[in-house]
Amino acid sequence: MSDKISFDPYESLHKLSLLWEKQLNEFIYLWTNNKEFVKMTNLGTEIHSRYLETFKKNQEALASVLNLPTKSDVTNVANLTIQAEEKMEALEEQMWELQDSVKSQSRDIESVIEVSKEIIKLTKQLKNELVQTKKELANSKDLHAELQEMKFELLKLNNFKEEFETLRGLIERGNRAEIELAGAGSSK
Amino acid sequence: MATETPLKGFIPELDYEKEMNRWSHVFKFLSEPEPEVGHTPRNEVWRKNKSVLWHYPAKQKKYEIPLFFVYSLFNKPYILDIAPKVSVIEGLTNSGYEVYLLDWGSPGYEDKKIGLDTYIDKYLRTAVKRAIRHSEADEITLVGYCLGGTIASIYASIAEEPIKNLIVATVPIDFKPFVGPDKWAEGMRNGDMNIDHFIDVYGVVPPQVVDGMFRAIGAPIYFTNYTMLLSRAHDQRYVNKWRRMNRWTLDQVPFAGEAYRQLANNLFKENKLVKGELMIGNKKADLKNIKANLFVVSGSRDNLILEEQSKPIMDLVSSEDKTYFVVETGHVGLALSGLFAKIVDQWVSTRSNQL
Repeated sequence: MSDKISFDPYESLHKLSLLWEKQLNEFIYLWTNNKEFVKMTNLGTEIHSRYLETFKKNQEALASVLNLPTKSDVTNVANLTIQAEEKMEALEEQMWELQDSVKSQSRDIESVIEVSKEIIKLTKQLKNELVQTKKELANSKDLHAELQEMKFELLKLNNFKEEFETLRGLIERGNRAEIELAGAGSSK
Repeated sequence: MATETPLKGFIPELDYEKEMNRWSHVFKFLSEPEPEVGHTPRNEVWRKNKSVLWHYPAKQKKYEIPLFFVYSLFNKPYILDIAPKVSVIEGLTNSGYEVYLLDWGSPGYEDKKIGLDTYIDKYLRTAVKRAIRHSEADEITLVGYCLGGTIASIYASIAEEPIKNLIVATVPIDFKPFVGPDKWAEGMRNGDMNIDHFIDVYGVVPPQVVDGMFRAIGAPIYFTNYTMLLSRAHDQRYVNKWRRMNRWTLDQVPFAGEAYRQLANNLFKENKLVKGELMIGNKKADLKNIKANLFVVSGSRDNLILEEQSKPIMDLVSSEDKTYFVVETGHVGLALSGLFAKIVDQWVSTRSNQL
């Protein structure tokens, strides 16, 4: 049955412990939240620090006499390692910069190559056009010669036409003279 | 024919199955090794001293701009990848983001001189540069959690690197409001409490002291997590979650001395970040220099970083696109539940150049 109450004191224990904890913490809060406690803590920390400092000094002195390495020596060595790491880092960053500049130069070179290719292509095109033009020029020269020839022949033809016209004039005049002569003969 | 006794129903019955589960889980908890964390596949991109930059590749890349996580210096960042299905990082890589995480590591005595400025200028800046180069992206999104948010904001205010979006969650910006006893804060600010000598002697602040400090501020006596575990120990899922959380809570890291001093003096005591007076190297870390799109997430049940500590960033930056979002969760719950991944995705998806 679902409405059965089972043995579970842990929830109550938890609720009770929450209450205890809260009350204890509130008590500690009230007990410590004053100037005197702060000053006492400061004094305690100071005494502890001085005691520890003296102890460390003595230990360093003894270690120095016995030629034993101390944590300060280890610190110095560690600092050297960190310095070396930082130098490596700086070098690596310089290498990045170099890589970047090489990359950008490569990009520039690539773009120059592209432009050169375009120029070569254009030059070739111009060359082809020049050859074509030369051919056309040669053709036009031939045409010119032919035209000249034609002109000459036309001139000739013109001359011939003129001669022909003259001859025609002469013939017409001769015909007219003959007609006149024939008219004169019949009237007599 | 059985007759019912009058006491039946009055005395609670023992649920044998539930009790068996409860105590077998408790036994497992006591005898088994700690649960595994950090399941999402990752590659190491860069390493310096104890810090490592991790790359979590997107399952199927959908966004051009990667996410760069900056976690707090107080704890280990595996809370962001605590368990499958609830991992923040897994959630984001499944959504199609390239994720980078800077793990600060555990500083040793030799790191006592590392200050916040060194962490920002020599570690975070380099890591961001590496992440940008590694991802071949033109811009990056910074995601800072807790003190990581403060560090990310300080860095964003002096960054020369292209930061498109800045996301900060449960972030302390204004250090004036304080959750602990007010007389302690007063003592720190007026010089009644001075930790300089302590830091000089210790070099790095031991994890026990860091843990003690948080305990003292929040709850010096804390045992209800164990009674909570006992009351819900019959639930395997809860026990697993509890164990992961417990592992992370106890896994404190030491704090580099100089960084602790700067945090205590420059941020807590003098509140220089809000005043725009904080110096990182020779640069002034003024939050008004931040022009990146800003998203601030706060937890309404956060009892460590109050909303009043996060909200001032909204008025201090110059960003035109800025959003403030409050979630009903605690300081760690946002990351522990994986909810943070969904919140980040909702906001950043339209600002990450979808492919």
